[in-house]
Amino acid sequence: MGSLASAKIVTLPMADKHANPEPTPAVVRTSVMEAPASPAAPEPTSIPTLSLTKVFKNLLAKITRERIITAALACVSLSALFLFWYLGTKYRLEFYIRFKNVPTPYEVFNQLTQVGLSNKYLVNIAISVRRILLGFFIAIAIGVPMGLAIGKYQRVRDLFMPVVEVLRPIPAIAWVPMSIMLWPNNEASIVFITFIGAFFPILLNTIHGVHSLDGVLMRAARCLGASEFRLFLNVILPGSLPHIFTGLAVGMGVAWVSLIAAEMISGQFGVGYFTWEAYSLVDYPAIVLGMITIGFLGLACSGIIRMVGTLLMPWLAFAPGGKR
Amino acid sequence: MTMAVAEAQKGLIDVRDMGVIFGANDNKVVAVESVSLNVQPGEFVSLIGPSGCGKSTLLSIVAGFVKPTSGEAKLDGKAITKPGSDRGVVFQQYSLFPWLSVRKNVEFGLKMAGVDQGKRNTTARALLDLAGLLSFENHYPDQLSGGMKQRIGIVRALATSPQVLLMDEPFGALDTQTRVVMQEILTNIWQQFKISVLFITHDIEESIFLSDRIYVMTARPGRIKAEIKVPLPRPRRAEMTDTPEFMNLVQELKGLIREESLAAMAPEIKDRGLSGFGMKVGPKGVGEIF
Repeated sequence: MGSLASAKIVTLPMADKHANPEPTPAVVRTSVMEAPASPAAPEPTSIPTLSLTKVFKNLLAKITRERIITAALACVSLSALFLFWYLGTKYRLEFYIRFKNVPTPYEVFNQLTQVGLSNKYLVNIAISVRRILLGFFIAIAIGVPMGLAIGKYQRVRDLFMPVVEVLRPIPAIAWVPMSIMLWPNNEASIVFITFIGAFFPILLNTIHGVHSLDGVLMRAARCLGASEFRLFLNVILPGSLPHIFTGLAVGMGVAWVSLIAAEMISGQFGVGYFTWEAYSLVDYPAIVLGMITIGFLGLACSGIIRMVGTLLMPWLAFAPGGKR
Repeated sequence: MTMAVAEAQKGLIDVRDMGVIFGANDNKVVAVESVSLNVQPGEFVSLIGPSGCGKSTLLSIVAGFVKPTSGEAKLDGKAITKPGSDRGVVFQQYSLFPWLSVRKNVEFGLKMAGVDQGKRNTTARALLDLAGLLSFENHYPDQLSGGMKQRIGIVRALATSPQVLLMDEPFGALDTQTRVVMQEILTNIWQQFKISVLFITHDIEESIFLSDRIYVMTARPGRIKAEIKVPLPRPRRAEMTDTPEFMNLVQELKGLIREESLAAMAPEIKDRGLSGFGMKVGPKGVGEIF
């Protein structure tokens, strides 16, 4: 019993440590970790706590400075891009690439204020977003359970993987003509193409997630009385979640590529259609506005996925190699 | 010992004529051969032997992960066919679920058993208090040291009130100092819970310090070479490791294990290895000349 009590006392300073949201430097951490083992360890709680707060203040200061530098560098690269565009259009640069017809930033800004807030533009955005969400969520609803089953059961894998391997190399854009033939209306066929784009990255990453799951965790769960269904719900799903989210991020990117291509080829409405229509009507500023819109929508979507991932998987912040 | 038996009637492990063969034909490996052993209710029994002798395989059978080729394993007279919460298992690798907080990890077995949240919480907190880790209940396993993780692994296995605890070299990955403390903690927990323990290890001192009885296994194919009773009094204290009784047991076990380790390594070092160090190598390997 004595050893239990002493272990409790020695580990106390760590409680303060981990209450802090910031990561601790590895060296400090291990030395405290080893404390229960060494006989000379017990020391007054206040001393390490004091020095630790100091360490954290320093760390905090360091991180804010890091952030300022990061933000500054981001500004530099974005302004450089903008400046290149501005100078290129101002002096009508002709050096193999031609800026002759490229609209100036000002023209695009004008386009945004005039067309940008019009109903037509906003409806196009709304329609594209709806298509993405539909295709993406159908891909999740089919891809994740199927990936879990393929990853877990050899027989399911034997049954489904040949089909997956045959269909996977076909790019979503190549599905456009087939999709128009298959589906009763234009909307369904575009959603289908978006789905195809998102589906394979989600499926394959989910399978990979199940395979990379440590077998000892499944054995532990079964010893603790987990049924097959519980094993899926409480071990295999959360265990492969990090890989599933990698799949979602990649899938979202491919879904946008597929959607824009599909809208350009067969669409009515949508941001891709808006951009292609502008080209047909020789409305150059609208082309650039369409491109920037697509960029922002893609950025927002991957940002949301990353945010949801951080919220759903708080433990990753402490995983070895985490907090990249 | 007799007191423990009187108080805890359940938890009798009975392994009879166990044989395990992996692979088939040319790749056939006899891992375990005609092993019989038992763990009485409330008894602490260690299984010790050279690496690759099939001691972990035996534990996997009792846990229900592996089916024996011949013979059978029974718990309280019932044949073991699959894993279940009547046998708590502590693994050598840390097997905590990284996505669950420390408390949720301990609650896992109770959740699987359908125990309601309030009761789960109370039980888990009591167990964490016992392990001296209550202040870490909301931490994630990756925030803890190896010794802490393994303490949580032990109380997690105890949460469902199993009849036996199966431990597969649970302290193998820990440094020496942590390991010694963990051994004391384990004896304390064991005495409180009055539970049968089957403990796998290759550490001689560890097996003596913890056990009522020790089975020594031979090199592959694994058989029971000897059964040794540990007459040291309870509760065990770290100072006991310096007593002559303890030392004698260590010597006895060292002799037994050494023969087997050499036999296990013989095929690998028969021709080169030791002859390079100026040692004579007999026709049956180096085992013969010692």
